[in-house]
Amino acid sequence: MGGVAKAEVFWRSALQGIRHQPFPHVVAVLTLGIALFTLGLGRAGSLAVEHLLRSLGTEVQVTVWLRPGAPQADVDVLSAALRGRGFGVQLVTPRAAVERLTRELGPAADALRGLASEPLPPSLELQVPPAWRDPAALRQLADELQRQAPVTAVDWGEAAVERLGALARALRWGGLFAFAILLCATVVVVSATLQLAIYARREEVEIQKLVGATDRFVRAPFLIEGLLQGMAGAALALVGLAAVLHWVAPPLETLFAFLRVPSPAAALWGLRSTLELLGVGALLGLLGSFLAVSRALRA
Amino acid sequence: MIQMFHVTKSYPGDPPVLTDVNLTVDKGEFVFLTGPSGAGKTTLLRLVFCDEKPTRGQILVGGRNVARIRAASVPYLRRNIGVVFQDFKLLPHRTVLDNVAFTLDVLGTPRSESRERVLRMLKLVGLQHKAESLPLKLSGGEQQRVVIARALVNDPTILLADEPTGNLDPGLTVEILDLLCEVNVRGTTVVVATHDATLLERYQKRVIRLERGRVVSDTAQSEAVRRTG
Repeated sequence: MGGVAKAEVFWRSALQGIRHQPFPHVVAVLTLGIALFTLGLGRAGSLAVEHLLRSLGTEVQVTVWLRPGAPQADVDVLSAALRGRGFGVQLVTPRAAVERLTRELGPAADALRGLASEPLPPSLELQVPPAWRDPAALRQLADELQRQAPVTAVDWGEAAVERLGALARALRWGGLFAFAILLCATVVVVSATLQLAIYARREEVEIQKLVGATDRFVRAPFLIEGLLQGMAGAALALVGLAAVLHWVAPPLETLFAFLRVPSPAAALWGLRSTLELLGVGALLGLLGSFLAVSRALRA
Repeated sequence: MIQMFHVTKSYPGDPPVLTDVNLTVDKGEFVFLTGPSGAGKTTLLRLVFCDEKPTRGQILVGGRNVARIRAASVPYLRRNIGVVFQDFKLLPHRTVLDNVAFTLDVLGTPRSESRERVLRMLKLVGLQHKAESLPLKLSGGEQQRVVIARALVNDPTILLADEPTGNLDPGLTVEILDLLCEVNVRGTTVVVATHDATLLERYQKRVIRLERGRVVSDTAQSEAVRRTG
């Protein structure tokens, strides 16, 4: 019973606080909104880059060179095993390899005339499924295939894949670092702004303590205010991001169509992204108000 | 109810505000604490409700040593002590009812019960018809009665009043003091700090006089000496 009554008091006190001191709350909501808008844009950018890298990763092709004259049954078993693991498998016979090379060389294909009729060994060309698109997995696959009887060598573009992986890692960590810095800065600014609101209500806090309120009781309404501000800031950021999607994204998509980057709408919108942004907003608001009210109580 | 043993309070760089204060206030007593400005009356009251800690000495309030009390326990002690200030300390944006209910909110009293108790208390201080008014619409005497109602609504065992009539005209002063006497008759221990000598004469209660931080006279002791002599 006491808990329900207290919860009612906390919410009433928080809403009264916002109504009577709107200015610091508006400033806090705007600060949170701008920070979350920036975070949202940054997230869309990092998702687009990650998608781009992933799509470049699909270009990675593994070529499994086979021993000339390897029994067809062995090759079939190997192909079936690879298909079972999600790889796209295409057998390139020596003749098909020469034909392809001739096509690729064009007028210079005359140079092939003096060679044996089938100078290239047969091979299997693998389309790599997403789960295998990282250097460690590909290296493991190459080692495994190398031990198979019909296989002489495996070529998986080690250097290119590793560079791509390193780039993706650097972008991910850089993004996280920037995200953390922005979060800290937001918490500090929001906390300073909320301290203005608490200062304006110092008399109320003083009376609460005088009549026997615990620190937790004093803190609760301010935390609710922080939570509401965080969510309002997130809603503001969502409106800003929606505006970007509507007016800015379409021309950009046309301009960079050749990059095969996903539509920003895909990165920014959706229930999950919306909930994430609201959650981060609520968390920032809570953290900012917790710091502000703790500082005020210590003083 | 309140006992002080060799209590001294000083701040760095300043002479002591209280020096070696010894006193006892029994349960249900009404005591005036008097003396000139700067004598240490307010500091003494603040020590009782744990707004300050003594530099030396022990203070027992309801049997608990508040000189050694943990910060986390202070709110629970204060729920047993009502405090009234000269400057009222009312929240201007809240109604009289909400201001008085503030004390019960802290205790988690359900709104319906709280409203009933607040209205009963406002009736006691003669303000039931002003429950929905804002404090700034009230006279000084009425505001002070709201503060007394807020201090008493959770039935504390002790009521401390620091110059409760300092801002009021003589008519309202008597009205407030009569109210405090009535509260005392109902069993609450009342300690009133005042420098108004006319009040001391009019009400003929126990008077503890402080000067420069020391107890210079206590009518209870004088009476005891007179009786034994």
